[in-house]
Amino acid sequence: MAQFVQALALGVLIGGIYALMASGLTLIFGVLRIVNIAQGAFLILVATFTWWLWRATGLDPILASVITAPLMFGLGWVLYRFVISRIRGQAASMSVLLTFGLALVIEGVLNIVTGNRFRSATPAYFEESFRLGDILLPKAQVYGFLAAVAVLGGLYLVLTRTWTGRAIRATSQNPSAAALVGIGATATAALAFALGSASAGVGGSILSVLYPFFPASHYDWISRLLGIVVLGGMGSLPGALCGALILGLAETLTATYGSLQWSTLVFYLVIMVVLLVRPQGLFGARLREDAA
Amino acid sequence: MIEKSVSRRSVLAASLAATLSIGLAACGSRPSEKAASDTDKPLVIGISLPLTGDFSQPGTEAKRGYEVWADQINKAGGLLGRQVQLKIVDDASNQDTVVSDYTKLITQDKVDLLLGTFSSLLNYAASAVAEKNQMVFVEPAGGAPNMFTRGFKYLFFAQPATAPHQADVFVDWIKSLPEDQKPKTAAYPTQDDPFAAPVIESMQKQLEALGVQTVYQSTYPADTTNFQAVAQQMAAKKPDLIAQGAVFEDGVGLVRSLKQLQYSPKIMFQTSAPSNAGQYSSGVGVGSTEGVFYTVSWHQDAKTPKNAEFVTDYKAKFENADPAEDAADAYAAAEVLAAGVTAVGAVDQAKIADWLHANEVTTILGPLSWEATGEPKGKFLLGQWQSGKAQVVAPAEAATTQNVVNPKPDWK
Amino acid sequence: MNFLRRIPRQHLIAGIVLLLLVLYPVVNPWQPYPQGVMLIAFLLAIQASSWNIISGYAGYISLGHSMFLGLGSYTAAIIALHTGVNPLWVAPLGGVTAVVIAIVFGSVVLRTRGHAFVIITIALLLSAQIVATNWDGLTNGSDGITLELPFWSADFQNIPFYYAFLILLVLTVLFSAWIARTKFGTGLIAIREDEGKAASIGVNTTVFKILAYAASSFFIGAAGGVYAYYQTFLNPVGAFAILGSVLIVLSALLGGRGSLYGPVIGAFIVSLVNEAATVYGGSTQSRVLILGLILVAVVLFLPAGLLPTLQAAWRKRHPVETKYTDQTGALSHQTVAVVRERLPDAPVTPGPLLEVRGVSKRFGGLVAVDNADLTVERGSITALIGPNGSGKTTLFNLITGNMPVDSGTITFNGKRIEKLAPWTRGHLGLGRTFQVTRLFKDMTVLQNVVAPLPDGRLRTMFADAVSGHEAARARDLLGVVGLARFADQRAGELSYGQQKLVELAQVLMLSPELILLDEPAGGVNPSLLGRLTGVIRELNQAGVTFLVVEHNIPLVLDLCDPVHVFARGSCIASGPPQQIREDPVVLDAYLGDDWRPQDAHA
Repeated sequence: MAQFVQALALGVLIGGIYALMASGLTLIFGVLRIVNIAQGAFLILVATFTWWLWRATGLDPILASVITAPLMFGLGWVLYRFVISRIRGQAASMSVLLTFGLALVIEGVLNIVTGNRFRSATPAYFEESFRLGDILLPKAQVYGFLAAVAVLGGLYLVLTRTWTGRAIRATSQNPSAAALVGIGATATAALAFALGSASAGVGGSILSVLYPFFPASHYDWISRLLGIVVLGGMGSLPGALCGALILGLAETLTATYGSLQWSTLVFYLVIMVVLLVRPQGLFGARLREDAA
Repeated sequence: MIEKSVSRRSVLAASLAATLSIGLAACGSRPSEKAASDTDKPLVIGISLPLTGDFSQPGTEAKRGYEVWADQINKAGGLLGRQVQLKIVDDASNQDTVVSDYTKLITQDKVDLLLGTFSSLLNYAASAVAEKNQMVFVEPAGGAPNMFTRGFKYLFFAQPATAPHQADVFVDWIKSLPEDQKPKTAAYPTQDDPFAAPVIESMQKQLEALGVQTVYQSTYPADTTNFQAVAQQMAAKKPDLIAQGAVFEDGVGLVRSLKQLQYSPKIMFQTSAPSNAGQYSSGVGVGSTEGVFYTVSWHQDAKTPKNAEFVTDYKAKFENADPAEDAADAYAAAEVLAAGVTAVGAVDQAKIADWLHANEVTTILGPLSWEATGEPKGKFLLGQWQSGKAQVVAPAEAATTQNVVNPKPDWK
Repeated sequence: MNFLRRIPRQHLIAGIVLLLLVLYPVVNPWQPYPQGVMLIAFLLAIQASSWNIISGYAGYISLGHSMFLGLGSYTAAIIALHTGVNPLWVAPLGGVTAVVIAIVFGSVVLRTRGHAFVIITIALLLSAQIVATNWDGLTNGSDGITLELPFWSADFQNIPFYYAFLILLVLTVLFSAWIARTKFGTGLIAIREDEGKAASIGVNTTVFKILAYAASSFFIGAAGGVYAYYQTFLNPVGAFAILGSVLIVLSALLGGRGSLYGPVIGAFIVSLVNEAATVYGGSTQSRVLILGLILVAVVLFLPAGLLPTLQAAWRKRHPVETKYTDQTGALSHQTVAVVRERLPDAPVTPGPLLEVRGVSKRFGGLVAVDNADLTVERGSITALIGPNGSGKTTLFNLITGNMPVDSGTITFNGKRIEKLAPWTRGHLGLGRTFQVTRLFKDMTVLQNVVAPLPDGRLRTMFADAVSGHEAARARDLLGVVGLARFADQRAGELSYGQQKLVELAQVLMLSPELILLDEPAGGVNPSLLGRLTGVIRELNQAGVTFLVVEHNIPLVLDLCDPVHVFARGSCIASGPPQQIREDPVVLDAYLGDDWRPQDAHA
């Protein structure tokens, strides 16, 4: 029983962090209808930068997200204005190829600048745990989880309480209607891409403490994030939250009670089955244009 | 089709020119005709290494190891009285490229000798090219068992043992323990990796034969990042020994998860992760390395012939960096090849191969000798982290310290 | 030389290049290294050219296509391992495995489109890797499989592989060229351009896509067997690598997807640049970075690819003479003979041809079609009029199957059709045009008209679309609408009115019994409009029934009988034109108070 509760607790903590990482992907898809394959590379880029910052200045890696998030916001903005926006209106598959290319570019740059080796930030608390009876909650995970919840909460407030946020949500639900009521499509899209990148800024900083990473790790991360987003419904923020919790729990529980070897396959099967049977995911609404 | 026939003539002319040019380029000799050794020219050794891509790290170290060896031998008057020249090309960790690289080195550049590349993945393909062209192929890495089932005559592995025999030295150490110190229970997590998994499988078999009860066994995929569940399950079983088939990041990940769950086994063994000195200790924290066992082919302080020279020259050449195991393995591979060439007294591939099959070669890894398949007959070293430093604790003749930390203290 | 002159230039160049490649090892046999470089380029070209069938022609981008190479490699290697047969002899079986897997998985995954399909193909590739890693008994797991060295003398080491890959490449390109010539190929391009429209002209999109996916896998699978023997070793990570797929996509994109030689040219460039980077590049650069930059640059700046861009530049420098609609030609053409060709000779028996009973369709809260009834008598020209948003076009979509009905029945020729696929309805003799024309803009006018399939037989599917009977018939139909001169022009370059006429010719290609015309007069100039009504009348006399949605009331009253009036999703009035224009309900709902019969001529 204790083992089960422990697994559950770990699953929830991981799920919360996955949710943060996936939120950017789903936000960008919701507004731009672009699957940003580079999101995994963003995470690794930020993790590497955070690691470097931590080594150079001793700044706590999770706190470093105060710096990395605005930086990624800026990078996202620039990338959108000068690269991504150029292919708006083209076939969806072209945007996948473009962001895949961006992911390769980031991986390549990291390879050259930082070398092809594993890193992980190890602040003093990274191996300590909070103890609740028989249950151990690793401090790094708890801090990461709290940061993730705070950022997700903030994101939720921005999207529901501010004009800009409402503009983003309006565009994601109905781009042409949003344009009619005077919401600038390009500006909103750039903002959404920048916000999505900024969330990777926080996610990457947390990642740097929790998992060892190297330039090519982005493949693992993007497949995991895609799984979450596809499961929850592409473009849906609550969906990403749920998908992340399900995946976090599934990972811990299968590793505890099942075979690890085939668990990744189950995960790809989930992606395929969901895309086939319920392409809108658990939460996404079926769009008018999908119906044709 | 909006085709016009205006430039048809020029197309034909261009093609005629192209035909002529390939005709003119037709030269060279059959690949089997070896150029007569020109004794005035330097002896060229062709090597393709993964200097970029997935295996760029070991590839770069191997390059350094080869270069240190070449400098030393040239200073000592060369090989067969000829200066040695290394021709190193990059294969970007790609199987297609490594094949075309070695094909080019052998048939186009007509190099005199070959040395191997890094990782089994690339050596499988590269050794086949060498075998086809009947060139001796001493590889510094590539101990996957399938390597030596192909009946190759020109293949030699310049490490003391293949994967299934890597842990023999650790099993021997367990055997040597007094009965009350021997582990009663053991857990065997391993990555699904051709080098890590066979080590752990073979160890599990041997330890079960000694009466050590297996309480946990699992194989996890290479892209696993989350080790808490594995750690948690093992912690619940409280095994005396945890033996992990760890490539690198999974080794660090598991230790970190064990620490978070505050479970420390009496004996902790990991395959190759702890041998990546700096990265490992910074990954798990220096304090937590204390007492962790691993197997390794080479140690910096080993008293083997020429080892001290190798370390000194390496440090002098590369800004005082510590040589990695991969560099030492490459150096040893070059020593093996040189021993064969010197003994035969000529660049005669078949004779060199015959001589290596029949004789033992002294290297910085210790003495090496081979089965007919190219599989080495030796044993690995048993390493242990002690006070933030990697030491060799067995076998006795190679040990750098007599002290063995047992049981392992708690994680710090 | 006259013979050579007749061959299009691109095929002539390709032939000369092929000849040189065949001769090269003969002239220069003792050079295994350049042969090795070339054979890897051939392999990439085989893959890119095959990929082009599903992703270039049909537009379904697969980012997991190297899976088929891995499947082929494993098939040949596993057979070789267990039976001792040389992998080279069983390499075609690798193609068979690839085809089987493509059909099994394709029939499922091709239901998705756009990014969902791209993601699924990646997931498939990675799943194949996981299966190969964990199915130890069959695949040796992560240890991989080692094969014996080639049995021939080391002197010839790469030459047999060189020719094996070259032969496979030639076969792949010929296969791809043959597909492009058939109605199957035209159908694939139709799917890429507008899948819904393709379905409405009788293209069985499900079967077409699955066949295209299978066709794009065979030669890769067969090449995989040869490749395994060339490498003498394969393991899950190498055999199912995502970067391999990226190279395929990059090659095809760079050379020009959708074109015949583009992917081959792209593959040669990518492979040779890759090799040059190895030999001359030194070791400091990151290949991943270069690959990424090229991919980004191609997507941004050269999305059409090298070959099509060059061809477009050529066309710009050598413009074709501008032509106008051949109105006199159109007006003098013998229509009926051409159109009648495939019609049954049976005399028209009166009775209902199409019956719509109690059909409804909702979009969320909006009821677009509400329990509607409609009957179209055989041999009639029936009109459907009504205010904008009254559900006329939605009803068309329900009848032709572009949308599924929520409830109700539709009977055509005594057969219930509301559950049938759009293409099956097309095969039964139901054709339609669209309110806003939906031609395949990147196809030529002739291809547009050749594309429709009047039935679902394989013989029709693989009929020649470039010459022969189908093309001749399409030319005739173009003549009917006066656009024969434009046959080889891109459909997108025509004026709107011209496009309307091409769409009519397209429908006629189906030899339909009932044609649904959605605002046929919109945007057509008055003199051609006269011709249009003439064509409709002639066809009607030949036995073709029409259902017309039109806002040009004078035209409707002149041409049609009976007239049905639609408002708020259902039929509110029916009858002969004279009766309708007097009907107060109609006047109230649609025509408005100020519309009076005396204005009809205005």
